[in-house]
Amino acid sequence: MTRHSLSLLLRNEPGALARIVVLFSSRGVDVSSLSLAPDGSGALSRLDVVVDLQPGRTPEQLVKQLGRIVDVKSVVDRTHDEALELGA
Amino acid sequence: MDTTGAGALVKALEDVGCEVIFGMPGGAILPAYDPLFESKIRHVLVRHEQGAGHAAQGYAQTTGRVGVCMATSGPGATNLVTPLADAYMDSVPIVAITGQVARSVIGTDAFQEADIRSITLPITKHSFQVHDPADIPRVIAEAFALAVSGRPGPVLVDLPKDVLATATTYTPPKLVLPSRPVVPPVQVRNAAQLIGSSKRPVFYVGGGVIRSGAAPELLKLAEKTGIPVVTTLMARGAFPDSHRLHLGMPGMHGTVPAVAALQRADLLIALGTRFDDRVTGLLPEFAPHAAVVHADIDPAEISKNRKADVGIVGDCRDVIAALSAVLTRRTDLTAWWSYLDGLRATYPLGYDWPADGALAPQYVIERISTLAGPESVYTAGVGQHQMWAAQYVKYERPGSFINSGGAGTMGFAVPAAMGAQVGAPDRTVWAIDGDGCFQMTNQELATCAAEGIPVKVAIINNGNLGMVRQWQTLFYDGRYSNTGLGTHQRHPDFVKLADALGCVGLRCDSRSEVDGTILEAMAVRDRPVVVDFVVGQDAQVWPMVAAGTGNDEIMAARGIRPLFDEVE
Ligand SMILES: Cc1ncc(C[n+]2csc(CCOP(=O)(O)OP(=O)(O)O)c2C)c(N)n1
Ligand SMILES: [Mg+2]
Repeated sequence: MTRHSLSLLLRNEPGALARIVVLFSSRGVDVSSLSLAPDGSGALSRLDVVVDLQPGRTPEQLVKQLGRIVDVKSVVDRTHDEALELGA
Repeated sequence: MDTTGAGALVKALEDVGCEVIFGMPGGAILPAYDPLFESKIRHVLVRHEQGAGHAAQGYAQTTGRVGVCMATSGPGATNLVTPLADAYMDSVPIVAITGQVARSVIGTDAFQEADIRSITLPITKHSFQVHDPADIPRVIAEAFALAVSGRPGPVLVDLPKDVLATATTYTPPKLVLPSRPVVPPVQVRNAAQLIGSSKRPVFYVGGGVIRSGAAPELLKLAEKTGIPVVTTLMARGAFPDSHRLHLGMPGMHGTVPAVAALQRADLLIALGTRFDDRVTGLLPEFAPHAAVVHADIDPAEISKNRKADVGIVGDCRDVIAALSAVLTRRTDLTAWWSYLDGLRATYPLGYDWPADGALAPQYVIERISTLAGPESVYTAGVGQHQMWAAQYVKYERPGSFINSGGAGTMGFAVPAAMGAQVGAPDRTVWAIDGDGCFQMTNQELATCAAEGIPVKVAIINNGNLGMVRQWQTLFYDGRYSNTGLGTHQRHPDFVKLADALGCVGLRCDSRSEVDGTILEAMAVRDRPVVVDFVVGQDAQVWPMVAAGTGNDEIMAARGIRPLFDEVE
């Protein structure tokens, strides 16, 4: 398992969160923490999530799969930033 | 207020160019059926909603347009789950319209309530539930655009009954198709460089080439470069079978030269394909010496199963055209071709006749192909007959073979043929079906009979769930647990069943009658025809790469492993 932090911007549409969570469960992604908050504009929400990936699965792949969801406006892998913030 | 939600739905469907809907009414969707009654859209009343979904898939694949199916809430909607999953796996553009219980009772376990949006989340590109009738035209246009753009796929539109019944003002929708991604020139140059320096390249062609309408460009590029071509199950017809550069289908039941081309290649040029396990076999042993150029419209496919050295996100038509423009030098592939031609000569597709004098299923399919020709459309169920339909029908044009590749859905053939025939009324449509598969969806022949949709069905009646039986023969010591269907004992009698469904029923069990029976079936134009081809139960699909093994272990026939022996 490898750990990654992803940050997503979602359209505030019914079912948007469900779509993302179902993608995690369909693709065997373990969610270790998840937080959803309005991003201020009203039309979008920000989702921060920390996930564990099975060996052989890459975060790039997951980012692209999340990117296919119509309600997802952007996805970034912040694993590296966070590691920097923590001084790692 | 000039209409209702239902009126807006039907008008919007007309305005986005929908010409046919396959569906079945019921409580929640009933308001939509009223304006449909006088619409110019044809509605084909199916006998099971699964048939509506597969028919929409068949229609989409013969016409290149969006297929539409419609069902009521609850069980009507859940009956669409299998075709939605199938369309998702095979990237088929369909829109499913479902009725839903009224907004006020959603979430109360109301009569015929099922949360179809949640149920189908992992098997749709997107889904909508509309809460304001004024939104219906926009949502229909968006659903159509989503279904066909990028990587095509299924989209669901769920409509609560009261939204359909509420008065609204119609605003004509604008169908806005997103522009195709610009093919990155750097990647194209890198790909061209790899192609230019490779000694053993191969075009590994998938269904994306058919979806994007890139077959003519592929033909030009292949002829320009002289590079061998293999076409996957989903790509049969993307490149003419009669062409000297074509080595056939790769994969679990692929030809020896096609599998060898991938295994021995130093470069795979993968176009609109997804390195499915049925093609790669054991992934670590797949194409071990090859660099990979992978072009696909879906960025999530690139490097998913096999790392691409050059990934190109783009529509296959654009990518192939871009490659054609930069590839000027033709490399010398003489040694590569002499190796592949050697395999082609030594291991052509072939079969033995059953020792007990029974009819060979492969022969039946070969004759249908010869007599019906490449202008016909062929559909298949799932099993041995499907693999023989992929191997022994000679495809010359894209869209002429429609089958369930990714999902492997038994029962696909008959309803898909129905949809294909509606989409291509002037073509002959043959469903090559299994005796097991046929029993899952044959009720749609009543639809075909009632609606004047004259499909032809060849039941390859081997008395068994043949593909499962083949695995039992090979991997379970011939212990045939629950694979006999009793169809050789006429449970059911397919000729009588055909007759009862309003079709012509024919039977054939000997070689000398095969051509005559096929011609008799082809002569019927006013009704569907079912031919019960009674064939031997022990015919097997060869070649075969056993599941969980590497492609080098391909068996041309039982015990014959040409590539493995070559390695030693
Ligand atoms: C809906 C569904 N159920 C079960 C299977 C598993 N399965 C794959 S092939 C097959 C046998 C199909 O039998 P038949 O239609 O007679 O075709 P044959 O292999 O004999 O040509 C079965 C049961 C499947 N693919 N789809
Ligand atoms: Mg069978």
